[in-house]
Amino acid sequence: MKTFLLPDLGEGLPEAEIVNWHVQPGDLVRADAPLVSVETAKAVVEVPSPYSARVIRLHGDAGDFVKTGGPLVDFELEAENGDGSGAAAVNAGDAGTVVGTMPVGETIIVEHAVAGGSGRRSGRLRATPAVRALAKRLDVDIETVAPSGASGQVTSRDVEAAAQTSTATERIVADDEWEALRGLRRAMAQSMIRANAEVCHATVFDDADIDAWEADQDVTLRLLRAICRGVAAEPALNALFDAASMRRKKLLQLDIGIAVDTPAGLIVPVLRDARVATLATRREELQQLKQAASDRRLGRDDLRGAAITLSNFGMLAGRYARVVVVPPGIAILGAGAIRREAVAAGTELAVRRRLPLSLSFDHRCVTGAEACRFLAAAIADLQLQN
Amino acid sequence: MAELTLVDAVTAALDWELGHDESVVVLGEDVGVNGGVFRATNGLQRKHGADRVIDTPLAEAMIAGMAVGMAAEGLKPVAEIQFMGFIYPAVDQLINHAARLRNRTRGRLSCPMVLRAPFGGGIHAPEHHSESTEAMFAHMPGLRVVIPSSPARAYGLLLAAIRDPDPVVFLEPKRIYRLARQEVANDGAALSLDVCYTLREGTDVTLVSWGAMTQETLEAADRLQAEGVSAEVIDVATISPLDIETILESVARTGRLVIVHEAPRNCGVGAEIAALVAEHGIYDLKSPVQRVAGFDTIMPLYRLEMDYLPGVTRILDAVHVTLEG
Repeated sequence: MKTFLLPDLGEGLPEAEIVNWHVQPGDLVRADAPLVSVETAKAVVEVPSPYSARVIRLHGDAGDFVKTGGPLVDFELEAENGDGSGAAAVNAGDAGTVVGTMPVGETIIVEHAVAGGSGRRSGRLRATPAVRALAKRLDVDIETVAPSGASGQVTSRDVEAAAQTSTATERIVADDEWEALRGLRRAMAQSMIRANAEVCHATVFDDADIDAWEADQDVTLRLLRAICRGVAAEPALNALFDAASMRRKKLLQLDIGIAVDTPAGLIVPVLRDARVATLATRREELQQLKQAASDRRLGRDDLRGAAITLSNFGMLAGRYARVVVVPPGIAILGAGAIRREAVAAGTELAVRRRLPLSLSFDHRCVTGAEACRFLAAAIADLQLQN
Repeated sequence: MAELTLVDAVTAALDWELGHDESVVVLGEDVGVNGGVFRATNGLQRKHGADRVIDTPLAEAMIAGMAVGMAAEGLKPVAEIQFMGFIYPAVDQLINHAARLRNRTRGRLSCPMVLRAPFGGGIHAPEHHSESTEAMFAHMPGLRVVIPSSPARAYGLLLAAIRDPDPVVFLEPKRIYRLARQEVANDGAALSLDVCYTLREGTDVTLVSWGAMTQETLEAADRLQAEGVSAEVIDVATISPLDIETILESVARTGRLVIVHEAPRNCGVGAEIAALVAEHGIYDLKSPVQRVAGFDTIMPLYRLEMDYLPGVTRILDAVHVTLEG
């Protein structure tokens, strides 16, 4: 039999109060399992069993005080054969702390700690997480991109250039396979992602009453003329915006982008120097521009520089749309399908032809009032007879 | 060679240096007759005498102040603060005197003192006994802050700290004081200060930690290995000044970094490591740096403390986030 004495729980406290027992006489306990909770001056602490053994007797009940060094528990050891467990038990009795429970283990650590690193240099690719994400989005294998950065890093330009090159390669895909976007469709995806991420879109919807129109009016030319009038009333809509440098460039000449639906995808050629006085004479030129767009005969410069774009989607279907502004442009006017509508004419109901309009603008560069002044002037022009 | 626990290794290092350098003095509350609140100085007074291993009153500002004075006069004091929670009265002496003695005297005096304190949670202790405020000391120019995470490093780094001519705050992770044993030669050989220790080499992610959290970090690395993810594990060991080169070199190979510490996240040493990696290693990162840390709230009492300390699951979650990048 062994009598376990209450160990010094620290700071020379002479005694501890038993809060409750975790074992009963007759129990088999494992070494380090809690025997009893006692309250010292600092806290309630658990006293662990020093032995794996059977409990014979508890010295005291809850509420009793046990003196430090006084008997706490009598144990019957399973094998009292001098195997050295006695010495280990003496050590375990001193848990080595005043407060709390010190976790004790017998694991032997085997480690091969090296001061500093391994000294191996990496020949690995360098790029910011943002560039890596861009490459993923554009389906470019960044490991194959040649870096141009000053620190040997792959830049976003490198990735974009690689994406452009890869679109040149043609590949036949079966209908149910994933197909990499190429050409115009890929360019659309990229510019829309950028527009969506960058531009602060606001869209104003309104209708032009075109019931007074003469029979031979060309809708596209009328819309272009309306844009001319709008810009005349509010020149702030004819500017390019560069968010990176927080600059805008007010344009003297009015160039208008025209969204064209082609078999290959969306393309936006630019009609240069639109003026109210000469628009009527440019019908033929406009047709050629659209044809050139469809035939993919336009160069990059033919597609650049417009501050404002016209999307006449109503030729197909649709009434209003949140049309998308593509930087560095700042506005886009969408025209929905012309329809007859019942509207209030004074105090009477009347059926009139109406042209629904949606004006999206980049609110970083254009105020709401500027957009509405533009739209009001455009509508006023559209409502003229010819 | 003897297999020592971390606290045994502290005792062995103190014993060695008391025996080999007569300018070394150990002082603190209960370090003498009692042998220390965690038994870190057990038997040292009996062996080396009461004028070398000195019991002091319960007055931390005085303990640190005595150490500064002894150090200025040519001794090498190793002072013990019983718990980090009671170190704050000593902070004035550390910041206003120990850290700047060399600077103030234009190099005429240095301050070769060590202030030892157990820190961190996980032993079910009452209030004030479980915090990790190492970042406070790391922020102070002139203080070196060293944290061992194994018996071998406790031994070698404590010897180096005592021999260093400038003040060292030596923080001992008490949760692992007796958790495991390791062969320690006890030959008086010091380890290098101011370098990280790479505990495991890996290629997919770098896990950086210190103190007791290296346990969970190594366990996480084991679990990752079972998933087929090769994790490099780095023990920072000296958190100030930081050996950022070793970490950058590792991140250049793995491209991913997870920092694990039990101190609160806000302004923790992990923030400094993340900032340095952002400044010098951003091109090597495949995904944003992750920090797994204690929560930005008061350390809870012991029923909840294991919920506060980052566990293996939280480390694995953070690694999985980096692997998505």
